Amino acid sequence: MSRKKELISNIGLRLDGRRAGELRRIRCKLGVFSEPDGSAYIEQGLTKVLAAVYGPHQVRGGRSKAQHDSAIVNCQFSMAVFSTGERKRRPRGDRKSTEMSIHLHQALVAAIKVELYPWTQIDVYVEVLHADGGIYPACVNAATLALIDAGIPLKEYVCACTASLANDDIPMIDISHQEEVMGGPTLTVAALPMSKKVVLLEMSQRFHVDHLPKVLKTALQGCVDIKNILDVTVSNNVKEIGSSTRWGNMT
Amino acid sequence: MFTTKSFIKKNKIGNFLKNVREHYIRDDIVCGFSSCYSCQNIQNNQNIGCSKDNFSSNHVNRCKLVEGNHYLILDTNVVLNQMDVLEDNLFGNVIILHTVLNEVKHRSLPIFKRLMSIIDNPSRHFYVFTNDHHKDTFIHQEDQELINDYNDRCIRKACTWYHRHLPKEKFVFLTEDNESKRIALEENIMTFSMSEYVHNLSDKHLVEDKLAKVSSSFPFTGKDIYQAHMSLVELLEGIRGGKLYQGTFKASRENFLEGYINVDGFDDPIIVQGREGLNRAVDGDIVAVALFEKEHWTSPTEIILEDEGVVEENIDELVEKEKEIKKAIKKKGDIKPTGKVVGVIRRKWRQYCGILEGGIEGVYQLFVPSNRSIPKIRIETRQAEFLKTQKLIVTIDSWPQNSRYPHGHFVRALGVIGHQDTENEVVLLEHDVPHSQFSEEVLRCLPKLPWVITEEDESRRVDLRHITICSVDPPGCTDIDDALHCRIIDDNKLEVGVHIADVSHFIRPGTAIDLEAASRATTVYLVNKRIDMVPELLSSNLCSLRGGEERFAFSCIWEMDYEANILSTKFHKSIIKSKSAMTYEEAQLIIDDKTKNDDIAFGLRGLNKLAKILKTRRLEKGALVLASPEVKIHMDSETMEPLEVEVKKLFETNSMVEEFMLLANISVAEKILQDFPDCAMLRRHPTPPSTNFDPLVKAGKHLGFDIQIDSGKKLAVSLDQAVSDSNPYLNTMLRILATRCMLQAVYFPSGTLQKSDFFHYGLAVPLYTHFTSPIRRYADIIVHRLLAVSCGADSTYPDLLDKHKSSDLCQNLNYRNRMAQYAGRASVAFNTHLFFKGKIQDEEGYVLFVKKNALQILLPKYGLECTLYLSKKGDESLFVYDEEEQTQKAGNVVFHAFDQVTVRVSLDSKNIQHEKFVLQLVYPYIEGFSVKPLIESEGADKSNMEQQTMDYQDKCNEQVSTMKKNKRKTQSNNEKRKQKKKV
Amino acid sequence: MLILSSEKTDNPARIERTYYLISENIRIDGREREDYRPMEIETDVVSHAFGSSRLRLANTDVLVAVKIEVDAPYPERPLEGKLEFFVDCSANATPEFEGRGGEELAVELSNCLSSAYRSEEVFNLKKLCIMKGRKCWKLYVDILLLEVGGNLFDAVSIAVKAALWNTQIPKIKSINVDGSNIDIQVCDDIFSCTKLDVTGAPLMVTVCKIGDKCIVDPNAAEEQCSVGAVVVAVSRGNICTISQTGTGSFHPDTFKSCLILGISVAQRLEDSLTETLGEIKANQDVGFLK
Repeated sequence: MSRKKELISNIGLRLDGRRAGELRRIRCKLGVFSEPDGSAYIEQGLTKVLAAVYGPHQVRGGRSKAQHDSAIVNCQFSMAVFSTGERKRRPRGDRKSTEMSIHLHQALVAAIKVELYPWTQIDVYVEVLHADGGIYPACVNAATLALIDAGIPLKEYVCACTASLANDDIPMIDISHQEEVMGGPTLTVAALPMSKKVVLLEMSQRFHVDHLPKVLKTALQGCVDIKNILDVTVSNNVKEIGSSTRWGNMT
Repeated sequence: MFTTKSFIKKNKIGNFLKNVREHYIRDDIVCGFSSCYSCQNIQNNQNIGCSKDNFSSNHVNRCKLVEGNHYLILDTNVVLNQMDVLEDNLFGNVIILHTVLNEVKHRSLPIFKRLMSIIDNPSRHFYVFTNDHHKDTFIHQEDQELINDYNDRCIRKACTWYHRHLPKEKFVFLTEDNESKRIALEENIMTFSMSEYVHNLSDKHLVEDKLAKVSSSFPFTGKDIYQAHMSLVELLEGIRGGKLYQGTFKASRENFLEGYINVDGFDDPIIVQGREGLNRAVDGDIVAVALFEKEHWTSPTEIILEDEGVVEENIDELVEKEKEIKKAIKKKGDIKPTGKVVGVIRRKWRQYCGILEGGIEGVYQLFVPSNRSIPKIRIETRQAEFLKTQKLIVTIDSWPQNSRYPHGHFVRALGVIGHQDTENEVVLLEHDVPHSQFSEEVLRCLPKLPWVITEEDESRRVDLRHITICSVDPPGCTDIDDALHCRIIDDNKLEVGVHIADVSHFIRPGTAIDLEAASRATTVYLVNKRIDMVPELLSSNLCSLRGGEERFAFSCIWEMDYEANILSTKFHKSIIKSKSAMTYEEAQLIIDDKTKNDDIAFGLRGLNKLAKILKTRRLEKGALVLASPEVKIHMDSETMEPLEVEVKKLFETNSMVEEFMLLANISVAEKILQDFPDCAMLRRHPTPPSTNFDPLVKAGKHLGFDIQIDSGKKLAVSLDQAVSDSNPYLNTMLRILATRCMLQAVYFPSGTLQKSDFFHYGLAVPLYTHFTSPIRRYADIIVHRLLAVSCGADSTYPDLLDKHKSSDLCQNLNYRNRMAQYAGRASVAFNTHLFFKGKIQDEEGYVLFVKKNALQILLPKYGLECTLYLSKKGDESLFVYDEEEQTQKAGNVVFHAFDQVTVRVSLDSKNIQHEKFVLQLVYPYIEGFSVKPLIESEGADKSNMEQQTMDYQDKCNEQVSTMKKNKRKTQSNNEKRKQKKKV
Repeated sequence: MLILSSEKTDNPARIERTYYLISENIRIDGREREDYRPMEIETDVVSHAFGSSRLRLANTDVLVAVKIEVDAPYPERPLEGKLEFFVDCSANATPEFEGRGGEELAVELSNCLSSAYRSEEVFNLKKLCIMKGRKCWKLYVDILLLEVGGNLFDAVSIAVKAALWNTQIPKIKSINVDGSNIDIQVCDDIFSCTKLDVTGAPLMVTVCKIGDKCIVDPNAAEEQCSVGAVVVAVSRGNICTISQTGTGSFHPDTFKSCLILGISVAQRLEDSLTETLGEIKANQDVGFLK
């Protein structure tokens, strides 16, 4: 009935000029820091995330936490206080960050071959520098890259992506903050894109069941697209590091 | 490509955030021409939608300034100022740049909406070119560059691009800004101003009239009539410094040289008077006002001044009237803050309806709006002769300092003045009723004829065709949406069914027909016209539960005992075959005719008995019985002139149908709230604030009745007790007054309010909704859908469960319902006027209020409320007013509220836009005031009659003044009056 | 380089070597006692902040962003705006910072910064006043430690100064006072902003005592060797804060020479920072991708 909140113009462009099925620009880099065992930086549009991986190493704290058949994956999600439009009061420890840490853990455990490292711990730390929609996917994608940088064996990439519904009809992918605020419910999906397995699914509001399949399909496609982009970066990285040992030419 | 845009924005709590947004620049945006090979390729590669033709080769823009066909690129100011011209079909093949679209959206939402509806219309060939995301037309805003300059640069860049991209085509840039034009010309862009272009159109007919007159185009005639306005910066500065005040200007209806400005923090509105005071403010404008020193403050003049100016050049008459204002006696005690308008912060000009009157032939015309608060408007037209016979729509463009009247332009003509169709159109327009024909798209949603019931339908519905069901409606009703039945199923059990037309079967969510119905919200009934919410095929045929035809229904079936206690309730979709579609009168006859003993008669009697019990029970709980005089106008079917006006007759059967409808609505409300606690569409009637009842309580007190208003129940009881043997109509009058104290009932989604606020005051039930009239109300369709989900007959869809969407929908429904009521009343009023035209009649009436100089008389036969003036202006009144007792006394005749009188009614048509009733007292006879009854004077000589008419003419002239004031009151009362009608 | 970066243990032999080298004015990475490691500075790295900078001093990585809010001034200082420092030690730097592990260090750093910026000559808060006693700007200087490779105080102070240098305060267009309600409007254009005056903003120099010699810019290994250090905050050649860290004690003469060293090093830093900031071009859009 009303025209307000129209997220896609009648010529099919979103507010920032993307089409419904287009991701934001993704730029990423492996090995940004020397201290951690693996680190990565990713930009998805304006959303910027740093990830660092320490381990596998001896279990910190009480040994009682260690597990005999798998490694412990310890995740911490943190947001710089300046990352949001309005300044946050604290970087972590609030409800949302804790939830994010748990969700991150859920997605990563699904991909890491934890059974290879019993009695050990792997630390994954993510730090959001700029939050402009799709924080969780950016964190998952950054963590994946950092794990790869750390040389930790993975079953496959784990990628995440958001999707929503524009104008109540058109599924659209990779939701920016502006769209998040204006639009309807957002679906966040973390998946193993090669085997097309969903490892985490979250909805910000109620979704009508009629819409769910197509939005989910769109989000999964997004995960595949992201995986392809990450893949290019990883192989370039391998080429670069390996150039002295001529690894790069072997692939 | 990728870039970002930054800007600082203030958030809700007053902090400033730096926002950064992404901005992607693309290489797949097409120019929109199907002839353009390179863009076609892009489109094919990207596989974006269908390559529909954005521009038409059939449409040719013809203008003497440009050789051959060409395409138009518009500047933002053209869209903002010249929307009326653009809406003309003459304009086509227009490129709207995204930069312009955004700017328009930012500057004026109404204009934006109008622009979008043109763009959405494929026959207009308006193409949106997303220049700001196109790789070749995107440019960066430069350091220190103002946003306006940047936008202008973007627009010019796009013009140049089109020119280079399609060198064979001609592109014309239209702008209203001289500077823009100059720069564009420097850059070799073919540029014209809008007026240049329009004046040179080959086929300009009406379009020229629609050009907005930008102030600079008005020749400077030397003398300034008004003081200059201060600049916006000065105004804001002044307001901040407390020297000026900001408020909304309200023009007086009686005195065109007086107005009020409501300012926050002032108890009284600030008075502004005369040219200097008003200084070109138009009703509704947000203005800045400077307050005078206290010794120059004045009081409202209370005199009536009509703008009799017919030409713009002469202001002598105006000066004269200003003097009159100054002379008007200033009452000491009534001194109010006074000031003058020094500038306008925001204009609230819109389109006005009215007629042409005066002006200078061949130069300009004066337009007189039907709304008295709006000044006359000067328009230029070449078709004055024709337009003088028409009601037309005009809008204001500017009001230069040296022009007595604002300048505007003609928008469109509605039809011949005084003609039924024209007046209907006016009523519909003024009440914002969507009344265009149903679009092709909507009609395509209709089922194909012949419509047959399939086996699948039968398997999904309960077959009730064997049951004796009948419908009872007003005579002439073609959209029958309810039918009833009642039968014995057990020794002490009755089965009662309410069957409602299954409209939601035909109107599926999200379809064009659904969107159209949701936007219309309700069927609007004018006296001789019905504006359907759904196309006629549904409203009068497939959905209408006509006698003897098989129809789909949504049934609500109760098992009841003989005491009307509900034992069980069930809802299901069904197929019914109504045995008979009766009028209230016919049904009543069957009930009363003891010789009839068929199923129908039995059913009706059973229903009637139960209804009486239900009604008693309802009233015991505190439901209000309110009254409002409702009239029916009989029309001559050929001439479409009103033949007779009469009050609608009520039968027992009216109440019978009503009771079961209420019961069904309540049952459904309970059911849907239970299943959809968050998004059930309900209807509530808020308890009125106690101050609303003041007039009622006061009136009761003067008559010696104590009206209790603490609760609905107490009010109902005290109204019941207020009966007078001598005046049987008194109780009805009190109820009419009570009706006016009520608030409007409204729809709302259950999730938006506390449960305690769901209450329906008038019906005294905790839950209520609308289920029983889906053919004419959209709310009922939603309720049907909810209920269908509840009983497993249908599935949900997203918007149905979205609380916010439902809330938006409710707002539209409430707005449209209110407007539909007003429109209906306006139509009745017009036809009543038409009926009285040239007639003089003596009628019985009752005093509704006693006023200082008048009696407010209610004529129940016509549902009219008019004013009987007790004194002519300046004359010594025969009457003595007792404010304490609320009486008027003349000799030994005393008027109390609710006294019966006889009055002579006639219509004053002097002002064709504002006809009004004039009353003269007939009984009780007061020497020197009353007139002789018509019947007696009928045989009397003609001269007497003429004398009377003369008198009456005189009186008119003087009474018009006070009349107008009362007229306004009547209107607002009218608004309240029928609130209860459709609860 | 490689050896240093993985230096974590208290290998006695290596410590011995460090001591020896320093007394010879050659440090383990080849620097002299008063030399700094290479530094890289970037501004405008956080696009939605009003000012930001990122400093990389060898392996120390600091990100600073300045956010602005409208606030009411302290009643006792009605003419002044507010300045607040917040340090966050990201767990990315080391797992020890996980949870609240970095808080102690964070508080130490932010306290040191606030005391260094307290004086009016250092940073004039009066420029941040919008309306006397009613409204002022509050600057939040948020410091995020991303990697810790020694000499945090110096790195943080340089990054903070660069971020403040980069900060743009919106221009006030109008102030509407309506009783207790104050409505402020600013230019929404990012180009019409005022810059802060940061010439007095202090730089901190950590003078580290190893053996009986003093060095500046200690790396992580050198910090471990040191018995104590003095952090000297210098603004326009004057000391505005001194804070002593570590367990060791200083002889007054050593202390004095530390201060003198601090001042002179700060001056050198100041000059090269001003020069570098002047050369930074806008809109580089690189950040962590380099």
